[in-house]
Amino acid sequence: MSSSLQQLNQEMSTTVEQVWSSLVQINNGRGGAGAGTIWHPDGLVVTNAHVLQQHPNPTVTLPDGQSLPARRLAQDSQRDLAALAVEAANLPTIELGDSRRLRPGDWVLALGHPWGVLGAATAGIVIDTGQPPELSRYRGELIQVSLHLRPGHSGGPMVDVAGRLVGINTMIAGPEVGLAIPLHIVKEFLRETLGSPVTTALEPASEAIRV
Amino acid sequence: MAEILTNLSNDLAATVEAAAPSIVRVEGRRRLPASGIIWAAEGVVVTAHHVLRQDENIGLGLPDGSTVPASLVGRDPATDLAVVRAEGTELIPPTWAEPDDLKVGHLVLAMGRPGHTVQATLGIISALSQNGWRTPVGGQLDRYLQTDVVMYPGFSGGPLVSATGQVIGLNSSALLRGVSLTVPAPTVRRVVETLLAHGRVRRGYLGVSTQPVRLPAAMAGQLGQETGLLLVAVEPDSPADKGGLLLGDTIVAFAGSPVRHHDDLLAQLSPDRVGSTLTARIIRGGQLEEISLAVGERE
Repeated sequence: MSSSLQQLNQEMSTTVEQVWSSLVQINNGRGGAGAGTIWHPDGLVVTNAHVLQQHPNPTVTLPDGQSLPARRLAQDSQRDLAALAVEAANLPTIELGDSRRLRPGDWVLALGHPWGVLGAATAGIVIDTGQPPELSRYRGELIQVSLHLRPGHSGGPMVDVAGRLVGINTMIAGPEVGLAIPLHIVKEFLRETLGSPVTTALEPASEAIRV
Repeated sequence: MAEILTNLSNDLAATVEAAAPSIVRVEGRRRLPASGIIWAAEGVVVTAHHVLRQDENIGLGLPDGSTVPASLVGRDPATDLAVVRAEGTELIPPTWAEPDDLKVGHLVLAMGRPGHTVQATLGIISALSQNGWRTPVGGQLDRYLQTDVVMYPGFSGGPLVSATGQVIGLNSSALLRGVSLTVPAPTVRRVVETLLAHGRVRRGYLGVSTQPVRLPAAMAGQLGQETGLLLVAVEPDSPADKGGLLLGDTIVAFAGSPVRHHDDLLAQLSPDRVGSTLTARIIRGGQLEEISLAVGERE
């Protein structure tokens, strides 16, 4: 009965389990939890600038429950991105996907802590990529997806069906449309603010040498 | 690629078709009907409490297109469940699943019959707790089960259906605002059986309004807890009033268990506690005291 459905089912939950290991909480100092994505095994975490905004001393809670003080490495309110460093090693990182290849209709998953529910997942299909014409307060490319982002998803990973990072969950356009900053914009931000090519251990070499 | 999509699409439609005969329309409020799930072949239907605004003149829209009158068996606002019965009908209950292998990411369908036909939306399980969860109105669910399905108007009371076509639980958009929550099958079973047997779910009652407060450092150290519950109202003639609780008392333990938050107190007011006399440990005027209270029943 329903073999393709069951197979898909299994693959979806396996993907979620994989991605959980690189999803962190970022303490907003008021009892809530923003999200972040582990970018480098040595403790580099990417999140949204608006998650950090008011917090002089953010802390990062790793998937294993360990809470660590974080150092702010870079922040860009225009692109709504920030990079944090925590004292850690051998953190599990996420495989990087190719956000430029996303097409309308592609299935993606977003993870975060909506309304403080830890590690919640939501899925939907890509509506479009590029700069949404109707969005005046943000200038830049965004992945527009028919899924449910809520406060607490911000900074968490958006992944393709293979569990590869394609974007950082950032905002919503109405209750049924989620917007994520595409991975290539995140890379650009890290390159510009942190200088050297910042790559994860899992990134293909051809990408790593392109500065 | 298109083959997998076609198969998936067909599987989804087949799953909907298989579950459809167990989903009914529930007419229990003005204008917008909602949904219900058949519990037993002899006309017993479970639905959401909040969609039944009235206790009488309830109608059920059956899968064969007919509409029959139904009577209210009972309701439990705390879990947002209600049971109605239509005499003389033959209905087809679904397979209720209580799967252990349910995971975040699994595909699920939410179904409803607010009109004459069955409607469906697709989503995934967003969050799932291994332990119980208390609703804001004091009900106990076996698990916290949140999905990202879109709950269209009238979908409350309808089933959450798994990829294998089993009913995982009953959907409610009223337990938490803006969140699609499902009352899991074991909770539905427990509450429906209680409602069928007694017409209501008993809950303990003290008659107090409380506010969590931080305890003075010395007291916190002595008790080994940081917070307690300050009484901000005591209803006249309530069990709390009769037992001698006063405005300004701070409850730190009840029935031998520490009370730090609302949840801790609610957990102690389970159905089996109704009528029993239990000890509340309180701080009054900076001193610890103990007071006996006879737990009442919430109306």
